[in-house]
Amino acid sequence: MNDTSTVRRLATRAAEATPPPVVARVGGLGDRAIAWLFIAPTIVLLLAINIFPLIWTIYLSFTNFRANRPNAAVEWLGTRWYTSILTDPDIWAAMQVTARFVVATIVIQTVLGFLLAVLIDKKFRGHGFWTTLILLPMMLSPAVVGNFWTFLFQPQIGLFNYAVSFVTGLPPSSFQMLGDVSLAPWAIAIVDTWMWTPYVMLICLAGLRSIPDYIYEAAEVDRASKWRQFWSITLPMALPFIMLAVLFRGIENFKMFDMVNLLTGGGPGSTTEVASISLKREAFEKWRTGYSSAFAIILFVTVFGLANIYVKALNRVKQR
Amino acid sequence: MADVSIRNVTKRFGDTTAVSDLSIDIADGEFIVLLGPTGAGKTTTLRLIAGLEAPDAGRLSIAGRDVTKAPPAARDVAFVFQQYSLYPHLSVYDNLAFPLRSPIRPMAKAAIDAKVRTIAAMLKIEDKLANKATKLSGGQMQRVAIGRALVRDPAIYLMDEPLSSLDAKLRADLRLELKRIQAELGATILYVTHDQTEAMTMASRIGVIDRGRLVQIGTPREIYENPFNAYVAQRLGQPAINLVDAGLFPDLAIPQRTATLGLRTEHVAIARVGGAARGEGRGLVRRVEHLGDQNHIHVELDGTPLVLLADADSDIGAGDRVDVRPERPLFFDREGARL
Ligand SMILES: Nc1ncnc2c1ncn2[C@@H]1O[C@H](COP(=O)(O)OP(=O)(O)OP(=O)(O)O)[C@@H](O)[C@H]1O
Ligand SMILES: [Mg+2]
Repeated sequence: MNDTSTVRRLATRAAEATPPPVVARVGGLGDRAIAWLFIAPTIVLLLAINIFPLIWTIYLSFTNFRANRPNAAVEWLGTRWYTSILTDPDIWAAMQVTARFVVATIVIQTVLGFLLAVLIDKKFRGHGFWTTLILLPMMLSPAVVGNFWTFLFQPQIGLFNYAVSFVTGLPPSSFQMLGDVSLAPWAIAIVDTWMWTPYVMLICLAGLRSIPDYIYEAAEVDRASKWRQFWSITLPMALPFIMLAVLFRGIENFKMFDMVNLLTGGGPGSTTEVASISLKREAFEKWRTGYSSAFAIILFVTVFGLANIYVKALNRVKQR
Repeated sequence: MADVSIRNVTKRFGDTTAVSDLSIDIADGEFIVLLGPTGAGKTTTLRLIAGLEAPDAGRLSIAGRDVTKAPPAARDVAFVFQQYSLYPHLSVYDNLAFPLRSPIRPMAKAAIDAKVRTIAAMLKIEDKLANKATKLSGGQMQRVAIGRALVRDPAIYLMDEPLSSLDAKLRADLRLELKRIQAELGATILYVTHDQTEAMTMASRIGVIDRGRLVQIGTPREIYENPFNAYVAQRLGQPAINLVDAGLFPDLAIPQRTATLGLRTEHVAIARVGGAARGEGRGLVRRVEHLGDQNHIHVELDGTPLVLLADADSDIGAGDRVDVRPERPLFFDREGARL
């Protein structure tokens, strides 16, 4: 009896001491309502531009819908597109082109980006200036980069061909970076590397800066050579960051579209026809909306699955 | 093992002079302990010897070789860092083995393994060998840091408060263990601590540092009994020495220019007044701390607080009136210098 009255008195006193919630004074809405009010626009936007199209795409992938004939009767086809895609040699060719492109660019960009980061981390004089300079390509729009490199790759007047000829002695117009079956994939890889190595460098630099100096001091005292310090301290401790850069670049390049579209459009022939270019052709040139929806879903699941496996590996490395 | 000599070494960081004109000669097999308050320059001294800092002035030599400009690897020193500095991505085992895998002195795998396990057993971390270095308690990390130094056989071990995070029992064990290793291997050790028990029990010589200067260096007895000044006298003794005005004991014969008397807690006779005992009873007992093996008696003498030592079975209690008589006072002048 006495207990409850004490509790009640304390509660009343606490209630009196607490100012009324701001919202009660502003509107007549509860805290939860206000919270919903704040996040609702984001959620609606997310549903409208992410979740709804995804679900709609999944639906379309089971039908024969064509976007250029919106009024035609839509027929349910089940998994027909999926089986036909997975057995189509052209699709597999596109997947292979994509895989080769992804692996090549990741390897080159990671090695270059990490080495650049190691150099920049030395904090030599003017390293701030060089960092900014190296980061420039990353800040440009892909459209600018694409057009600009198309120009550089011109056999007659392109600076790239001129530079190669200067180094190797070959005449500048003797090769066409964008027109040659064996060179075109490399042309794209070069441009992608030029643009995105700085990004890898930035992430690696964050990794290097996260290694405290005292660890190197301990290693110095323990008579570890610079070489050994690099292999047994720098590299393992920066590894989670390197892997993160690989993940980002991998996902980006798996769906690489803009640069290829601008530089070669998938050609010559179909040598640079990566998956996203095939997809665009199916969807917006042949207007096979159902078919390309199924293809998009397959690509999405592939990236998602690979990324998940990779993130698991990344977490294992981080925990080691 | 080798002798190490530090000659007139000075190190500045901007405006602060961390180490100022410091000279110490460490003989082969000596165990030198550096004592000093926080910020005195103890860590900086060790880092200078290790080559992690370059001195602004002065010379360093190890085993007769001038190493003033030599890199750390060329100095052959082992360092137990104050903040442990373990390799966070490696296991405890690999942390301990790291210095042994140096290509400068190749060592067989089996020999490395044996050494690592011996040291781990000694430091009682055998069961943690597979742990990652970050997945340890502070005390365990500290033992790994000690172990990483002890696996080696360097010219000198530099140890920066290596036992500070351990519990009393482990600390006492390792104190003995370090002393034993030092005696057995004839290791040369430069050791920084705030703990005077460590200093008194382990040191061949104690160096007292104040604001980057070496104030006094000598055997523990010398430092304790013949402190060069009041500052040094205060660094040793638990509870600390009583520094009182020279006029407090008018009957005492004191040298000229004495400004301060230093009374070690155990160098003061205390006697209770009252009942059959006779005396002036100038002192009033404020408080008695019973430590088990001894009692600390807080006495107020004409407004001056004193801490004195009495036997565990002494029956002096709070509120008693007592007579206090200095037995072996130390005399200091106005600047604190010993007379
Ligand atoms: N890298 C540095 N840059 C600037 N000042 C420094 C640096 N290292 C030490 N100091 C300064 O030098 C003085 C001595 O520092 P030091 O670390 O040697 O003290 P310490 O005796 O080891 O103290 P503690 O007992 O707290 O470890 C301090 O005033 C400190 O601020
Ligand atoms: Mg220190």
